[in-house]
This record gives sequence, structure tokens and C-alpha cells, in this order.
Amino acid sequence: MASYYKKLKADLEASAGAGIITPEQAAAVYERALSLSPFASFKAAHWIGAAAGLFVALGVILIVASNWDRIDAATKMFAFLLLFAGVGEAAIRLDDKPTAAVPLEMIWFFMPILGIGLYAQIFNLSGDPVRPYLLWAALASPAALLSRRPFAAYLCSALLFFTLYYGTLSSNGVLALTAARAADPQPLWHWGLALAVLAGGAALFPGRKLSLPLGASVVWLFVMMLADTAVKVRSSALILLSGMSLAVLWLTYGSGRDDEKPGLPLKVWLGAVYFTTFFWHYRGDEFANRSAADSAAGGGLAWLLFAGALLSVVFRPQNLLPAGARDEMAGKVLLAASILCSFLLFDANEATAKGLAIAANLLLAAFGTVSILSGARDSSEKQINLGVAVLTILAVTRFVDIFGSMLRSGMAFIVTGLAFGALAYFVNKGRKALIESVKK
Amino acid sequence: MNWKGNALYLRLALGAQLLFFAAWGGWLFASRNTDSPEFYLATEPVDPRDLFSGTYVALNYEISRPKLGRCPRRTRDLGSLFVKLEDKGGKALTPAGEVALYEATDCHSNPPQEPGWVKAEMIYRFGGPVATYGIERFYLNENDPRKDARSGTVLAKVKIDRNRSLVLLDLVEKN
Repeated sequence: MASYYKKLKADLEASAGAGIITPEQAAAVYERALSLSPFASFKAAHWIGAAAGLFVALGVILIVASNWDRIDAATKMFAFLLLFAGVGEAAIRLDDKPTAAVPLEMIWFFMPILGIGLYAQIFNLSGDPVRPYLLWAALASPAALLSRRPFAAYLCSALLFFTLYYGTLSSNGVLALTAARAADPQPLWHWGLALAVLAGGAALFPGRKLSLPLGASVVWLFVMMLADTAVKVRSSALILLSGMSLAVLWLTYGSGRDDEKPGLPLKVWLGAVYFTTFFWHYRGDEFANRSAADSAAGGGLAWLLFAGALLSVVFRPQNLLPAGARDEMAGKVLLAASILCSFLLFDANEATAKGLAIAANLLLAAFGTVSILSGARDSSEKQINLGVAVLTILAVTRFVDIFGSMLRSGMAFIVTGLAFGALAYFVNKGRKALIESVKK
Repeated sequence: MNWKGNALYLRLALGAQLLFFAAWGGWLFASRNTDSPEFYLATEPVDPRDLFSGTYVALNYEISRPKLGRCPRRTRDLGSLFVKLEDKGGKALTPAGEVALYEATDCHSNPPQEPGWVKAEMIYRFGGPVATYGIERFYLNENDPRKDARSGTVLAKVKIDRNRSLVLLDLVEKN
């Protein structure tokens, strides 16, 4: 990434030198590009500094963890507080010298868990395993937010998401949302705390990028609906409806800004539709209905997600295909169809499930074809490659999955190859027509 | 005012962190500083390791599954409660001589203000509900031979602090 910014700087300076743009404009463009990536201005020395801080912090933690029992409790605690104050103050004083400040900030970030571990050792503390992580995040987040560098904020955000997954999937502890066997549901305030941790993790994520924290939140919510929680769903139709709605919501709100490409959410949406194509082999709800029925809250949440996703498709710009009025409607239709297909699973039988699988295949084929056409029109090699990849994977899967025998698969491969050839011919013809129209 | 990198705000954050650890340490010291009697509990140890806090012996107790008196019997009865610990005549031999082993004799969510009642948290583990007292870990040096203690070979020396919580004082090997 650093080489990209180096090249961008050189190109802008060359353009300014050639008089295409003014030096001020070149500097402004470069500053804007840098500001969009929190790590763009980081040099190798800063990364090494961060690694140094991380290693020193982990080393100190291990030495303390070895339980230096020759030192009495009060001395250990006083030494810890002194070290804590020293590291924090040094990080503040050397803030404008990144080579020193970066490792110091890393050590500072780990100081709270070092203290929690030390106190647990001195006083033989035990109990809820999630609380130390929550306490660590709560203590470390103010300094992480105030730091002008993003390292601590990234670590704090990752810590909160780790705690969220770890705590909520457990059936004991303050964050537990999964019911213990034969026990009452977890208290409602656990949900409040879990949502606060989720919001904290998303808010601490540095920069203006929303895709990753939103993705982590969406996956967490889906996992909660699959696990034995208050929002569990057990019917295939509601599971598919929720999953597809969440994939569409992530794609809609997790990308679309200047600096964020819909890479991961797009792949997840494609993966979800691809998974749906396997409903060709559906034999009933045998795997989904093992542990009781959908909960009322789970059912309500599934319908809420469906409504939110559908409204977002209608009223928000789509991010499935490259932005532009020509593909806007195609993108919206594909997204809406991917959600609405789930309705074929309500009271499903083998025939409706096969209908769902066929619809999913058609959706992917349509996406691949529109991507190739859109890429050819906009001279976007990446978009064409994506379309070809989707069509190829779809074709290969179906040949192996459905046709079975070598003779029939071989015939299917040849037919698909010819179809690709025809598509390439028409795409090239369209491209030439476009060039001719520009020349005239 | 730009608060990113502001030295004053960063010092306030650092001060709050230090204050928290100083107050927590003081509270832990103060709550354990009582004249309450020390007694022993039979244990069932295993030996895991925690990278943040070091080597410890994980302890299960006979009092972890209280059954007498009003103690909960249903799997779904989880949450906070108090357990009554009493000397019912059980004995064990240690290098310091014979000691009494305390047992769980009753449970109540709002017990009378009398000695012997301790806070516990009923949680679910494989095999059913278990009472945890916050004394399930004894930290020791990684070279300490007691970390290899096997089930039933050690006793936990404990006392009750000002907050009616059990405090783990030592792990004593039985003769």
C-alpha cells in the first residue's frame, strides 16, 4: 500500500511539473488520499516500533504471570502502578516522536490487563472469564480514542468484538446469551450489555470505514439467531430470509463511499446466493428443526431484517454493480430477488425447493452476465473478471453437482464454452461500436 | 479544540486508569483484613494455565454442589444465593495437625445476619448446576510442586471477608 502512495505522490508531482495541475492541487489530492487510510503515512520504522511494543508488553505479562512470589503483594502492586504511570507519561511526552511513542502506546494498551492479571494472582481472584476483558476494554478505550495514532483503537475494537463473540456464545457470565441446557433464558440486561459492547467495538474502529465492523456485527447477529438464544430461529425459511437480508444490509450500508469498495460484503452476498443453489437437494427441514421452534423474538427480528433490507434496496443506491444509472435498476432487482426467493422455502416441498435453487442459479447467471456487460462498457477489467469467475464457478459446480456422468458433464462444458465464446464476441462487438461512436 | 493527541486529556485518562487500580487494590486489601476464623475445604483440583495471570490450580470443592437444606435441586435454578458453611465433624490431617473440614448445610437468597453464610453464584456446567465462590483458582509459582496436586490431595484454607465472600488463603497438602 505504501508503494501506491509513493507512486501517487510521484505522479502528482510530475503532473504539477508538467503544468496539468497546480502544485497546491497536487498536494491537496495527496493529502486527501492519505487521510482516507489511517496507516498510509506509516513508515516501516513505525510498524517495527509497534511490534517492539507488543513484544515488550507480552514479555512483561509472562514474567509477571510466572508468579514472582519472592516479592510481597504490596511491592508488586506499587511497582505495577509506577510502571503504568511511567509508560503512560512517556507515551504522552514522546507523542511527537512516533518511533518511541508507537511502542509505548502499545505497552500502555496492555497495562490494564497486566494489572488485572497481577491482582488476580495476588488475591487469587476467579469467576466470570468475560469480565477481565470487558474491564480491559473499558479502561483502555479512553486513551485509545484520544491517541492520534490508530493502533490502540484497532486493538480495542478487536478486543470488544472478541469479547462479544466469546461472551455471548457462552452460557455463563455477564454477557452470556446462549441458554444453558434446561435452564431459564438469559436475563434481558445481558442483551443490553452485549449491544453496548457491539456499539463500542464499532465506534472505536478507526477511520471512516464501516464495512468491517458492520460485517462483524451482522455475522454476530446471524450467529445469535442460529444459537440457542432468545432470538433463535429454527425453520429453514426464516434462517434463509434472515441470512439473505443481513447480507443485503451489509452490502448496502458497508460500502459505497469513495474509499470503500464492496469487496467483502459482495463476496458474502454471492456466497449466500451460491449456497442457496444447493437447495436443489433439499429433502425437508430435517436438519433445522432439531431443537424446538423459532422464538417469537427471533421470528420478529427475521421479519424486521427482511423489511429493513427490502426498504434499503428500494430507497438506497445499490452497491452490487458499479455505480451508475444504467445498472441501478438491474442491481436493485437482483438484490430484491435474492431476498424474496426465501419465500419459496415457507411450507416447502421438494418442488418449491428446486424452484428456489433454479432461481438462485438464474440470479448468479444474471449477475455474471450484467457484470461482464457493465465491465465491457466501462472498460473495467476487474468487473469483467468477476462476472466470468461467477459464471465459471456456477457452471463447474452445476456440472459436477447435477449432471454427474462424464459424458453429460462433457457436453455441458462444451455448451458453456460456446456460450462464453458467443458472449465474448458480442461484448467485443459492443466495445468496437462504442469506440466508433466516440470517433464520429 | 482537537482532542486527538491532547496531552491534558491523555493524562486524565492515565490518571483514571491509575486511580482505578489503586482503589481496587485498596478495596481488596481492606475487605480481606478481618478477624473472621480461617477454616478448610476439601478440594478436587486440576491444573490449567492462564497466560495473563500465570499458573494456577483450578479448584472444585465438595461445597460446589450443595444439596442440603433449602439448596436448589432443579437445573434451572441459577444465579446468586448464599450458602451456609458449618463444621459438621469432618476432619483431615495436615502437616500442622488435624483440621476441621467445613460443609455446605443450607442455602438462602436472603439469609440472616449470622456467621457462616457466604455469597455464591449458581452457574451451569456439564453435569448440572454448580455453586462458584470466587475461590476456584489458586495462583502459584510455575515451579511449585502443588501445581501437580491431584484430586483430594490438598485442602483449601479460606476465610470469610467483610463482604461475606470467601477468600482463598492457601493450598495445604494433606498428610
